[in-house]
Amino acid sequence: MASGILELREVSAYAIGRRRRFFDRLGWTVSALAFLLLGGAMVWILAIILLSGFGSLTPEVLTHVTEGTGGGLLNAIEGTLVLALGGVLLAVPPGLACGIYLAEFDYGRLAPAIRFLIDVLVGVPSIVIGYFGYVTMVAMLGWEFSAAAGCVALAIISLPYISRTTEMALRGVPRGLREAAYALGANDRQVVMGISVPAALSSILTGVLLALAISVGETAPLLYTAGWSSYLWNGHLIKEPIGYLTYVIWAFITEPFESAHRLAYAAALFVTLFVLVISVLSRLLLDRSASRFRRG
Amino acid sequence: MSSASLVSSDRLRWRRISRAASFRSLTALSACLVGLVLVLIILFLALYAWPAVQLNGAGFLTQNNWNLGNLYGNPVTVHGQTILPGAQYGILFLIAGTLLSTAIALLIAVPFGVASAMFLSEGVPPPMRPWISFFVELLAAIPSVVYGLWGYVVVIPFLGHYVFPFVVRWLGFIPFLGGPSGSGYGLFTAGFVLSLMIVPLITATLRDALVEQPRELREGAMALGATRFEALWTVLLPAVRRVLTGATILATGRALGETMAVLMVSGNALNYLPGNIYTPISTMASFIVSQLDSALQDPTGMAVRSLAEVALVLCLISIVVNALARVLLYYQGHQVQRAF
Amino acid sequence: MLHSQKSISILTRWLIPCACVLGLALGSGVAIASNAAKTGAGANLLETGSSLLYPLFNLWVPAYTQSHPNVRITTQSTGSGTGISQAVEGIAQIGASDAYMSDALLKQHRDMLNIPLAISMQMVNYNLPGLNRDHLKLSGPVLAEIYQGKVKNWNDKSIADLNPGVKLPNHSIIPVHRTDGSGDTFIFTQYLSFSAPEWGNSIRYGTTVSWPAVSGELGAVGNPGMITASKDNPYSIAYIGTSYENAIEKDGLGIAMLRNHDGDFVLPETKTADAAAAVMVAKTPKDERVSLIFAPGADSYPIINYEYAIVNRKQPSPATAAALRDFFTWAISPSGGNAERFMKEVNFVALPATVAKLSADQIAEIQ
Repeated sequence: MASGILELREVSAYAIGRRRRFFDRLGWTVSALAFLLLGGAMVWILAIILLSGFGSLTPEVLTHVTEGTGGGLLNAIEGTLVLALGGVLLAVPPGLACGIYLAEFDYGRLAPAIRFLIDVLVGVPSIVIGYFGYVTMVAMLGWEFSAAAGCVALAIISLPYISRTTEMALRGVPRGLREAAYALGANDRQVVMGISVPAALSSILTGVLLALAISVGETAPLLYTAGWSSYLWNGHLIKEPIGYLTYVIWAFITEPFESAHRLAYAAALFVTLFVLVISVLSRLLLDRSASRFRRG
Repeated sequence: MSSASLVSSDRLRWRRISRAASFRSLTALSACLVGLVLVLIILFLALYAWPAVQLNGAGFLTQNNWNLGNLYGNPVTVHGQTILPGAQYGILFLIAGTLLSTAIALLIAVPFGVASAMFLSEGVPPPMRPWISFFVELLAAIPSVVYGLWGYVVVIPFLGHYVFPFVVRWLGFIPFLGGPSGSGYGLFTAGFVLSLMIVPLITATLRDALVEQPRELREGAMALGATRFEALWTVLLPAVRRVLTGATILATGRALGETMAVLMVSGNALNYLPGNIYTPISTMASFIVSQLDSALQDPTGMAVRSLAEVALVLCLISIVVNALARVLLYYQGHQVQRAF
Repeated sequence: MLHSQKSISILTRWLIPCACVLGLALGSGVAIASNAAKTGAGANLLETGSSLLYPLFNLWVPAYTQSHPNVRITTQSTGSGTGISQAVEGIAQIGASDAYMSDALLKQHRDMLNIPLAISMQMVNYNLPGLNRDHLKLSGPVLAEIYQGKVKNWNDKSIADLNPGVKLPNHSIIPVHRTDGSGDTFIFTQYLSFSAPEWGNSIRYGTTVSWPAVSGELGAVGNPGMITASKDNPYSIAYIGTSYENAIEKDGLGIAMLRNHDGDFVLPETKTADAAAAVMVAKTPKDERVSLIFAPGADSYPIINYEYAIVNRKQPSPATAAALRDFFTWAISPSGGNAERFMKEVNFVALPATVAKLSADQIAEIQ
């Protein structure tokens, strides 16, 4: 080093060497690029769905039922609402109770075992649940394609999500609240239903909305439990198939008829919009609950 | 206290206890029922598929022969089971299709996911962060069938007419990238669409983990002279290695079970293994959807039970993968905030 | 603010309005539905199955329900295999199928009827750039070898021998077949089985067969899937029902001339179908389960078949049974479903009078 005092050496103005600088820039460029590609793909998908979907919208789509490969989507929209709401309604009481148990009464070994089982249930492919539903409800119980079978299948799929988010929402409630309530002489039911659940209500609702979004988007299990109907639901829970939007997306895009394609795009539009709205709603709810605890 | 008030306070206490106990046991009962759903499904599948398991034996997993037999012939008895003549069930091509498409999906999704997570955690200006991460969550919320629609309408023509022939022409010497460029339906397309579906899972989980790391790690690295990127790469990422593994395994679990999107872009192969990345494949999940109706035509019922065996194998693989992921994530102490 | 008060504010601002809106929507939906159901004590029928018959059903349903508003018929294109199995399970009232039920299946479900509603044909289509306007000549044995991978190239000697003077391209053949349970597969493989004993003894026929693994082959779902696969892949060959002939012509695919039982090469046209029907119709038994494939006769087209409605003899309610009987009677009548205007749209042939009588007898059995 000492011999270098008189040498002509380029002194870098930067604090770090060229190689490190290069890798730093490369690293940020690569990650930005990766993210942009991801975002680009996302924008691409949304653009196709929105553009084709809005381009295929005619008043007929909202006022007519499906006639063969043409017509409208009124029956499918109604069917999706019935099935998704029915499935979520079936799943909320047991899911909520289960989440409460796992969050509030986690003593001993039962709770971890059940938590494990529920987490595993999330991973069961929805087609397996649909197959199970077909063999048990549609065939063995004789319900045939029915709204009931579809709702039960969707409920099984939604259960773990509702239970999990309820549990995490309740765990987010500060212990002090509960302890204060118990100290004032409240019993379990009063503490949970009167204090914990209302405090975590936004997050619990987020879980319900998530389950709703998943139910609206499901196809495979409904193919073999709800069947398909070109008519509005006549209120029968069993022995009467029911239509839903995702069937139209899947079945009609492969038909060689323009009217079928238009319905498929319109159905994809409705499903995507619905899921977007639910995501926005749950984001808003989450922010609300987060801000409440920050303030309080 | 008089004996009367003692009795009444006893009764009060008992009522309070019993009400409390019954609330607790009510929730416990619900929890048990919910937990039992999984057990019920697996037990049912195992029982229903048992005759098929007995018939097919180990060849089920090692042979490439899914054959319903002579549908218009008279049933015969083989291995103690009544089946149609010539009926054989071997699903090696399904296992290969499932594992290969998932592998390709992971090969694409993990690098992209990690890079995006790094960018999201550090490179985005703070006011934009909630919007951008919301954007990523949106990708995760889009249903599988909509991905399938996009894949069928846009990706397949694009890949089949432009990208694949180009790759075959210029990179055909690389093994598995050569050979006929196919029609666009195939292994790579399925893997590509799958990767888009699982990348938000990896990105979101990893980003949350990175953001939650104690500031001291980052500050310590920078105090030692690291750039922001170097701090991420050399210190923070290794710190969340277990979360990355867990998220990857979770994403694998999701990819293994994906049905509709794969069904619409994979080409529905039967009884052959893919020779290159452009060949059609079938996955276990898409196979069940496409073959259940054909299987119902078998009067002996063996085809439906063999499909139940496929469902069982798929279920067991998914369960093992998911259980592994959850164990890894819990061990780290990082609870998966998004219930995927 | 107490947490319970805050949660009430969430309730009033979010939950209650949402619940009201949803309740209104559901309520009005159910109201519309029950209103629709109230307008007639008629029947809801689900028709599912053959993609070959699907276009015809979609023409029939609006025409029929105009004069019979109490009946609601939902149609689905799911493949003949599904049509048979769902009709058998009682999930669908009408199972549309190009294939009749097998003996074994019928033995298990003795109450099923196989009722022909029309006669349809199947084309063998190919996509050869430059040659799609000329009708290439193909035969059963050659097709069998193509689908077995023994004939791999378009300019193979066996194809060239059938088409002297035609400049066949030097390119590998891409055979396309159905992956779903398909009546089209049934009739195509019957043609191969009857004309090529080697196929008949090994792979045989069915709505699903174990297709030999041929390099480059494609699987497609439904007739529409076959059309798309064919269109997107030059040098491919596929079997598609004649109800999609308009789509085929629009996409510019070629229609092959097939060698029939007597050795002549014929196109799928009304007159060749009529010729084949005339010969085979006499062989139709009372339960109408018979193959019309590979009919003798110089002008006979080798791939024609009855389009069956697979129906259960015993229906759960007299109203459903009556609705089914009325619909089928209309469908097989020359002034109703078998009218020229319907048949021409889908390139089918109306049922001959003797067969229509046999169908009518079976229809009368639906109770």
